[in-house]
Order: sequence, then C-alpha cells, then structure tokens
Amino acid sequence: MSRAVALWIALVVVLAPDGVAAQDARQIVQEVQKRSNVRSQRYEGVLQVFNAKGKVSDKRWVLERIGSYGSSKMILRFTVPAEVKGVALLVVNHTDRASDQWMWTPSIERDRRIAFQDRSQRFFGTDFSFEDLEERDVDQFDYSILGDETIDGESCWKIQSVPRQAKSSQYTRSIVWVRKATYTFAQLDSYIKEQVVRRLDYRDMANVQGVWTARRLEMSDLRTGSRTRLTLEQLQYNVPMKDEDFTLQALRRQS
Amino acid sequence: MIDLARVTKQFDGKRNVTALHEVSLSIDKGDVVSIVGPSGSGKSTMLNLMGGLDRPTAGVVRIDGDALDGLSDDSLTRVRRDKIGFIFQFFNLLPTLTCLENVGLPLHLRGWSRSKVHERASALLELVQLGHRTQHLPEELSGGERQRVAIARALSIYPPILLADEPTGNLDTRTGREILQLIDDLHERLGSTIVIVTHDPNVAARCHRTIALRDGRIEQDVRR
Amino acid sequence: MMLLRLISWPYFRKHIVRSLLTIAGIVLGVAVFVGMHTANQGVLFAFNSTVDRIAGKTELQVTAGETGFDEAVLESVQSASTVRVAVPVIEATVDSQIAGQGNLLVLGTDMTGDRSLRDYDLEDADEAIIDDPLVFLAQPDSIMLAKEFAEKNDLAVNDTVTLGTVLGPRAFTVRGIMRSSGLTSAFGGNLAIMDIYAAQHMFGRGRTFDRIDLATRDGASIEKAQEELRQLLGPGFQIDAPAGRGRQFEAMTASYSIMINISSLFALFIGMFIIYNSFAIAVTQRRSEIGILRALGATGGQVRGLFLLESAVTGLIGSLGGVLLGLVMARGIAASIGGVMKDVYGVAQRADEVATDPALLALSLIIGIGTSLVAAFIPARQAARVDPVQALQKGKYQVLSVGESRLRALAAAAFVITSILCLTAASSRVAFYVGYALAILAALLLGPLLAQWLGRALRPVLKWMRPVEGALAADSLIQTPRRTSASVAALMLSLALVTAFAGMARASYDSILDWTTTTLNPDLFVSPSPEIVSRTLRFPGPMGETLAALPGIARVQKVRNARILFNGAPVMIVAVEIGSVAEMAPSPPIEGDATEMYRLAAAGEGVMISDNLAKLHGLHAGQVLTIPAPHGLISLPIVGVVLDYSDQQGSILVDRTVYERYWRDDSINLFRVYLTPDASPADAKAAILQRFASERQVFVFTNRELRDYILRITDQWFGLTTVQIAVAVFVAILGIVNTLTVSIIDRRRELGVLKAVGGLRGQIRRTIWMEAVSIGTLGLILGFALGALNLYYILQIVEHDIAGMRLEYVFPVTTMVALVPTILAAAFVASLWPAESAVRGSLVEALEYE
Repeated sequence: MSRAVALWIALVVVLAPDGVAAQDARQIVQEVQKRSNVRSQRYEGVLQVFNAKGKVSDKRWVLERIGSYGSSKMILRFTVPAEVKGVALLVVNHTDRASDQWMWTPSIERDRRIAFQDRSQRFFGTDFSFEDLEERDVDQFDYSILGDETIDGESCWKIQSVPRQAKSSQYTRSIVWVRKATYTFAQLDSYIKEQVVRRLDYRDMANVQGVWTARRLEMSDLRTGSRTRLTLEQLQYNVPMKDEDFTLQALRRQS
Repeated sequence: MIDLARVTKQFDGKRNVTALHEVSLSIDKGDVVSIVGPSGSGKSTMLNLMGGLDRPTAGVVRIDGDALDGLSDDSLTRVRRDKIGFIFQFFNLLPTLTCLENVGLPLHLRGWSRSKVHERASALLELVQLGHRTQHLPEELSGGERQRVAIARALSIYPPILLADEPTGNLDTRTGREILQLIDDLHERLGSTIVIVTHDPNVAARCHRTIALRDGRIEQDVRR
Repeated sequence: MMLLRLISWPYFRKHIVRSLLTIAGIVLGVAVFVGMHTANQGVLFAFNSTVDRIAGKTELQVTAGETGFDEAVLESVQSASTVRVAVPVIEATVDSQIAGQGNLLVLGTDMTGDRSLRDYDLEDADEAIIDDPLVFLAQPDSIMLAKEFAEKNDLAVNDTVTLGTVLGPRAFTVRGIMRSSGLTSAFGGNLAIMDIYAAQHMFGRGRTFDRIDLATRDGASIEKAQEELRQLLGPGFQIDAPAGRGRQFEAMTASYSIMINISSLFALFIGMFIIYNSFAIAVTQRRSEIGILRALGATGGQVRGLFLLESAVTGLIGSLGGVLLGLVMARGIAASIGGVMKDVYGVAQRADEVATDPALLALSLIIGIGTSLVAAFIPARQAARVDPVQALQKGKYQVLSVGESRLRALAAAAFVITSILCLTAASSRVAFYVGYALAILAALLLGPLLAQWLGRALRPVLKWMRPVEGALAADSLIQTPRRTSASVAALMLSLALVTAFAGMARASYDSILDWTTTTLNPDLFVSPSPEIVSRTLRFPGPMGETLAALPGIARVQKVRNARILFNGAPVMIVAVEIGSVAEMAPSPPIEGDATEMYRLAAAGEGVMISDNLAKLHGLHAGQVLTIPAPHGLISLPIVGVVLDYSDQQGSILVDRTVYERYWRDDSINLFRVYLTPDASPADAKAAILQRFASERQVFVFTNRELRDYILRITDQWFGLTTVQIAVAVFVAILGIVNTLTVSIIDRRRELGVLKAVGGLRGQIRRTIWMEAVSIGTLGLILGFALGALNLYYILQIVEHDIAGMRLEYVFPVTTMVALVPTILAAAFVASLWPAESAVRGSLVEALEYE
C-alpha cells in the first residue's frame, strides 16, 4: 500500500463488510481502497503547519481528483495566501511505477517536473513529502498483519507494508492501523530503517456521499517535531470532471 | 703670504687628539720654508691647514691676507686653485690620465680652453724635462718622473704658493735630490712661496727657514 | 659562523647603505615573485574554492562548455542508473548595484531537489516565510542571500536588493538568509540563490541550464557514472568532477600566467645581478682583509665559505623581506588579476582572501637564497683564489684578466652558436626555449666585455664634453668592469624586458586595431551587459527582428559566442550570420579562398577558424574539424583561416544555423548593427535604448566606444606586466645607486686630488653624474640590442605558445625613444645621493694613504 493512499484518498470509506473476519492483510487493504473508490473528488483544503516552536502558517488549496485508486490524476491549486495563489501541482499516478508530478508557477509561466529523486523532499514546507502525495497499487507492496490494536477507542488491524522494490520508496516499511468497523485508516507510521519518521493520523471521520472519509489529516514529522494539519472542507465526490483537464497542457492552460 | 694666528687643530674620535696647539706663524712671500718634526708632531696637519685642505678647530689661517675661515667649500677650493700648488709624497697622479692630462687637470678645472691647457701643460712638462712623456700613463713612469709630473701639475697655474708634503719621501736619495733641485729652479724662475714638509734634514738645510714642530707646538724657528 | 660575526658583520655595518641596497634588490625580486604568484594562486584558489563550495556534495558536473544545454538533458541524467540525484544549475555573476560590493554570484537552483547536494542552512527559523519553498518558488523575485553579504549590507529578510538582470535592474526580495557555511563563503560571501526557472528568465537563458550537478548512487563509482553518462549523453558534454572547472579556468588563463612568470623571473634575475654586483665589489674591496685571513691560515675553501655564507644570510634576510612585501602586494595584484580575468576572459572572480601558500613561501625563500648563492658564487670563488701576497700589496685591482675575458668570449660564442642552431635546426619547443636561455646567457657573458668596449668608445665623447669630469667618469667605468658591468647587465636585462614587452604590446595593438578595422565595422553594438565580454546575460533570439525594425537600422547581425572545450582546450565558438558578415565585413583569409570560404561557411558546410586557433592546434584549411555539441558531433571541414582576436585561445566561426541546430540555443550575446547611410549613430542608439527601456536592459556601444573598450582591455592585459617592468627598471636603478656608492669609495682619492687641485663641488658632482648617466647609456645601448633579440623570442612565444597571434616584428621605437630620457634621468637621480656624499667627505682623509 502506500502513504498516498493514505493521504488523499484514503479519506476512506466503509460499509461494514460481510465475513471479513478471516481476511488477510492484502485483502484488508484492497477492501479499504475499494470502499473509498469514487469517480472523482473535490475539496478545499486548509493546510496548517505547526513547527516545533509553535509557529503556524496557513495555506489553502482546491484539490480535484479523477480516476480510480492507483491510476488516478489529481491537481491541487493554491488559493491562499496571495503570494502563492495559482501555484499548482499535477500528480499522475501509474499502477506500475512511481507517479509523474509537475509543478506550475504562474508568475513565470513555467512548469517544472518534480523528479523522482526529489520525492522524499518536503512538499513545499509541509510535513508531507512529495512521495506522500502519491497513490500506489497494492501490488507494489507486501503486507502482513501484526495484530489488533485500539486507536482512539476503535478496534483496528495493525498491518505492515514493505515496498517490493526497496528503491522505489524513501521508506523502509510502514505500519497502518485500519479501523475494523469502517475499513478506514486510523493511523499510518512510516519507517526509515528502524525509526518512525512520519506519522499520519486520520481523524474527524464522516460519511460523505456514502464514503467514510477522514476530514482531518495530521502528518507529524517525528524527527523535527513539526506537524501539518490538513482539513478538508466542502468535500464532494463524483463531481463531473474531464480526463483532459488533468494534463500538463491543461495545467499550463488553466493558469 | 701665509699667516697662522693661534691655530689649533683637534681631531675628534674615540680619543681627542690635538695636532696643533695655538700655533702662530707667518711666512713671507717668496720664502722657502721647511717644516720638520717627528711623526705625529703636526707638520702635515699644518700644511693641510695652510693649503685649505682642512679647517682649523680654532684660530685663523690667512693666505695673501685673506682669512680662510668662514669660506664655503667652493670658495676655499677657489683659493686653492688660484693660489696654491700641491705636491704629495705619493704623487697623487690620476692613474687613468696621461701625464699631459694630469698636468692640465687644474687648468681644465678652471675652465681654460683645450688649446691653452695643452699649450701650458706641454710647456710645463718640457720644463720638468718630460716633454717626451706627454702621452704616457703615470704607471709607465719611474718614481722620480711621476713626482716631476706632480710638480708640473702643481705649477700649472703658476701658483704664488707651493706646498709640498714629503716630496722626496717616496724616492731614492738621488732622485730626491733631483726633485729638490727642480723645486729650487722653479723657485728661482717663478718666485713662488714654498713650504716643504720633510723629516729629511738635508732637505731642510736647503731652505731659507726651518720650522721644527713637536707635539703640535713650534719648537724652533730657524732662518738662515 | 665566528668568521661571519668577526669579519662580515663589521663590513656590513660599515657599508650599511650599500648592504641595504643589495638586500633591497633581493627584496624586490622576491616580492615580485611572491606577490605575483600568491595573487595568481589566490585568484585561482578563489575560483576553485568558489567552485568547490558551490559544488557541495556534487561528485560530477555535466556541462557543454559554457553554452549551456536544453532542459531535457536533465531527465536523461536523472534516468541514469548510477545517478542518485542530479540537479540543474545556472550561474550568473550580476552587478549587485551596491557601491563597493561589485558582483554577486547568483546560483539558480531547483529548490525541490537541490538540498540533497547543497545545504542551505537558513538563518533563524521564521519558517513560515523562509523555509517556505512555495513562496520562494511562486515569486520570481525571491532570493536567498549568504549571511556574509547580508551582514555587510545590512539586509534582513523581506528587504529588497536590486540586481542587474537582462530585464534591467530588478528588485529582489530577500526571502532567506543562509547561515555561514562553506557554501556561503563562496565568491567571497557575495552569493545569492534563486529559483533556477526564475534565473532563466532573469538572465535570458531561455529553456537551458548551464550545468547539472549530480551525486552518484551508493555503490556506483564516479568512473562508472562518468562512463554511463558519456554513453547516454554523447560526446557533446563534459562530465567531470567540479575540480575540472578549475583546470579549465587555469588553461584559459594560462597565457596570462606565462606572461607574469616571464616578467617575475626577469625581476628575480635582475635582483641576482645586484647581488652579484655587491659581492664582486665586496671581494675586491676586501682583498687585503682576505689576504690577511689567508696569511693567518684560512684556506681558500674557508674564504669561499665565508662569502657564500654571507650571501646566504643576505639572501635569507632579503627573501624574508621580499616575502612580507610580496604578501602585502599580493592583495592589490590579485584585485588587478581578478579584473583581467573578468574583463579579458569574462570570468568574474573574487579573490578576497589571498591565501599564503607555505609551499610557495618556502620556494620563495629557497629561490631568494639560491639566487644569492648563485650570484655570489663567482665572487666567492675569486675571493678564494686571492693570493695573500698580492692582496696585501696596495695598488691596482679589479681588472678582468685576459684569460677570463677570453673564456667569457669563448663561452658566449659557443652559446650564440648553439642558440642559433636551436632556432634553425630544431622545431621543438624545448630547443627553442633552450636557445632563448642561451641567447640571454651569452648576452650576460658578453655584457662586461661590451660594457668595457663601449665605455672606451664613450670616453672621447665624455672627454670632449668635460675634459676632466668626463674623462674620469669614463675611466671609472673602464677601469672597474666588475663594479660597472653588473649594474649595466641588470639595466640591460630590464630594458630588454621592456623592449620585448613594448614591442609585443605595440604589435598586439596594431594587429588588434587592424582586425577591428576590417571586421568590427558595424556602426553600433548592442549588448545585454555593460561588459561586452561578459556572457552571463543574453538576449532572446526574436529580439533581433524587433531591433531590425527600428528606424535607421539597415542590418542586424546576431552573434552568439561561448567557450567550449575543443581537444580539451577552452576555445571560443562564435556563431554569426556568416552570409551577412561576408557582405559587410569580409576579412581576407590567411588560408583558403575568400569566396568559397564564405559560401561554404554560410551554407553550414564548413567552419572558419581563427589564425591563433590554427597556430595553437596546428590546424589547416581542408582538415575536418570535429566539434562536440549537446546535440551531436559537428564534423565540418575548415574552409578558411581568418584573423580573429575574439579570444586568446582561438575561435571557431560557424554559421548561426549550425549553432542553433547543434546547441538548440537561439540566444544572443551581441548584436552588430549597421545603420542606413542617413542615420546618425547617436539617434539610432537613443532609439534602441528607448525601444527596449521598459522591457530589458540594453547597452549600446558605438563603433568608437567598442574599439576603445577593446584597447582598454588590451591595456589591462598588459597592465601588470607594466608594473613588473617598472619594478625591474627600479631594481636596475638600485643597481646603479649601488655601483655609484662603491664608485665614490673607490674614487675617493681621485676625487680628493681633484678637489685639492681646484675641483669645485659642482665639478665633483658632475663626474659622478656623468658616470651614472654613462652607466645608463651603456645599459640603454646593450638593453636595446638585447631587447631587439628578446622581442623576437617573445613574439615567437606569443605566436606558438600563448595566443597564436602572428605579430609583426616592429622595434618599438617610440617607447624606446621615450625610455632614453627616462633611464638617463633615473640614472641621474640615482647618482644624486652618491654625488652628495662624494663632495661631503674629508679631503685630508681622502688624500691620506691608508
């Protein structure tokens, strides 16, 4: 599975499934993805970065996403503050490899590719890395159940995922807690070697148009003590969108 | 012609040496005077003062009635070149110049024309019987010949005063006698006042007057 | 050691002025050497350390000369299996627009990935703004400054700085200040970082990068990565460690270093003569002392040892002084060299810290002492040979023995013959330089003989002028060849140096002027930066059409030049519209047929190369040139060799179409603008400035201004050499003072006699003056003679080893004529003090026998 998942979409899901008791780890994750599957998605995100000294910076963006998990495309455009308005990021996910990512800077009318080598970098000063924005197909990971644990009073499966190609991710492995009741992620810990470096918490769960979604995501960088909160507002699923609006050309055009 | 009034000369150094003590002396025009005395008695110092080569520490030197003290270097030089001829023990000829050039030296320095210098110098060399040696360098001459060139040089300006410092001191006896003879001859012909420093009693004996110095003082002043 | 204290020290104290003069000779020689080399190294070091500091963790850099290359190359490099991280870089040195701050090195990087290679340690964490790459990227006016620069100029976050860009001066907002680190101390702390895409925009780079910095994956060796990238990118790219740029810089400026080395060696050599002079004099003056020593049982070896020890001590003291003075001078020299690098080679530099290289300092001491020892060797040997009996006798001394003269003449003749053989027989450069060295040596050996001979010739003249003073002055020269000849030789050497450099400068000016007249005939030149050679800012291609449409403009030629690596050497590629140039400014080819040359070159079927490139690389018309370019290897025949002095390392002229095809770069360094017959340059200039005033920064030069500019640059190139020559002449003059102070001691008796028989002070002075002026005259005559020869050699060196310039041999008569009164006056001045001390001494003592 993937951080990404985690993140954007993982804003997941659930109707309690039948006979899931004996599921294996991979099936659980697949089920999570299946339940969160939508044709498209749109929301306004509020991004708050709290650094270790307690300073806060606020940004807002609009995010649109189309396609099914693992092969979706997404554009996010910053709207606030004024000096970053119009800066956009296009992410095109591929089932078989890492995503393509481009950034658009309207003031100089230039797009730039976010190179694969840079995916471990922080995403524009937040505690997310570029890699965390990516969706990856279940087949790129090996899963195993480590046991059951309770998060915020809800019973969860504790599942470990290890990337099949070590070089494809900055992380050595991840551990995700999946709420048994809703098949949604509750917490995702990402490891580099034996150290947890990032923790993503999925909070404020709500059923939006039949999809259980976390409306507040908090990513903590455990190395720096800084954290970033993303709050989803005006979340809508299955809004009409066109595939051709999620291309580099469209990115340049729409600015 | 030459007057010394209470002339004192001290040499500064690690030890102050007084070479002359308040010496007073007067030499008449046309006199031939010898100054004798042991080494260090001050005779050369006295000669140098008379010739304006050096200045006294105290007292006044007068040449032809003119006091030398207070004169600038150049004025002193002018007195020398107009009135005084020098003859040195070691000749002090300039080794790179020919006899003729050496003799003409004071005349050139006075700015005489080349032809006049040549004429006078040649005549003087004839006078000292070196007419055949005009183009020779000093080192090609014998000691006596060199001294004759030096005498010719001293006479080149027909100086009223001729000062000689041990003119025969560096010559053998016979040559020395010849040189003295020459000086005598010249005296007769030119009537110059001549002062000779010597420690040779034979030389002193030929002079009109002999002044003996000891420890910077006149010990004896004999006229004959 | 005991001897040194007992014998040498009193002598030194007695002759303190002369001893100091001798030491001054070494001090200056060593100072010039140290100063020049320290400064040169400092500039090189500054360049290297800037490269180094900016490189950060970069292991390899991908470049294509300085032309830059298409952005797409980045993805290829990033795709290489051995590459862990590869980031694009643009470097620009821009005017900081702050008085006294000069240039700022702006590094354009991609902030998303660049931190893997470079550590931008940001000053206190107002993270919201500073550490917000989003704002930094979103706003093209964002800049990060090195703390050093920010502090010097009292700048804080959110302040603005104005920088010269291709769009004119632009205000940039300081969005971050980098904490002091290796990186921030690059370029003397005048470092700024901006987003690379903004930099492309601001510096007119189009969609190109200057280079790619990369680090290899763990486990992949640098060699392997190099190999893979070479395969991947083709031969048009250089893939080198960052240090490789230092080597290129060194290669580019090598010619300048050669010039500096030649002249600083001359300075040292001249210093050596001063020492030789002093010791030769000392040996003759101290003959009786040596005689006594020998009589008391000292061996010849001990005497020689004493003199060598003295010279070593003198050398040591002088060298120490020279090192100190050199280090003081180095900073100024470094600034000057930095200026040359910037203005002549277009590579901006900051050599703020002039590092003292212990190895160089040690070398200087060794050279200083070694020089002293070599210089004192012959006098010491003579001292050892002094015969005790003869030495104790008074009398003549200092005469060159017939045997010695004959030996010198024979050796000189042998050297002359060998050096002629070297010139004619062999084509090897080694033989050439051996011949050069031998020719100089022969001149030095013959120097004393010639000086004596000339002195004799001069005597009648001097005697005619002043029968006594003149003759004696001449005799003084003739009689004491040892005393005179070394200072004559020193003067000869320095004048030979002057002659050669003046001749070279003259010839260079002439050639450059000729060239500017035939090829630089446009009425106006339009450049994006105030310095035409600077290639940091460029115009976009389409600007040419806008320019051509302005009233009064008949024709516009687009020029793009950039340094590329050709056969491992940095050469200039000049892309022009050759058809248009052939019409407006055809230059007669040195090789090839004019019509065919221009036809083929304009059609992109051949290249023209500059004469100096042909010379330096042994190329001829008809050969096929293979030039690596980012988009393939260009293989084109050389269709003609023309005169072109755009660059010292040589230039390759290609049609613009070829350049655009192989470099995919349509930017422009310079427009050559021809006006219609009725247009006035001033009006056209105003029109151009006005047309672009709101859009971009434009500098317009008239033809006259460009020529002046080129000549000014040429002047600057020769500037330091001129200073060194001045030092050399000064040292030679010191030699005259030295000689004269001895001369008045030697001539003390003679001068005393002169005074005794009626020589006035003025007359005494005059003979000293005449002696000095005579030394000057001898130096001038011999110097000009040797200079004529030296000029020949220097021109050969320039042609074959430095700039490939075919320079006409013209004896620089004007300079020489100007030198005659200068040197004579200097000699006269040198004699003033000795003359005064000559008239001051006691007459009685002078006349006394010691």
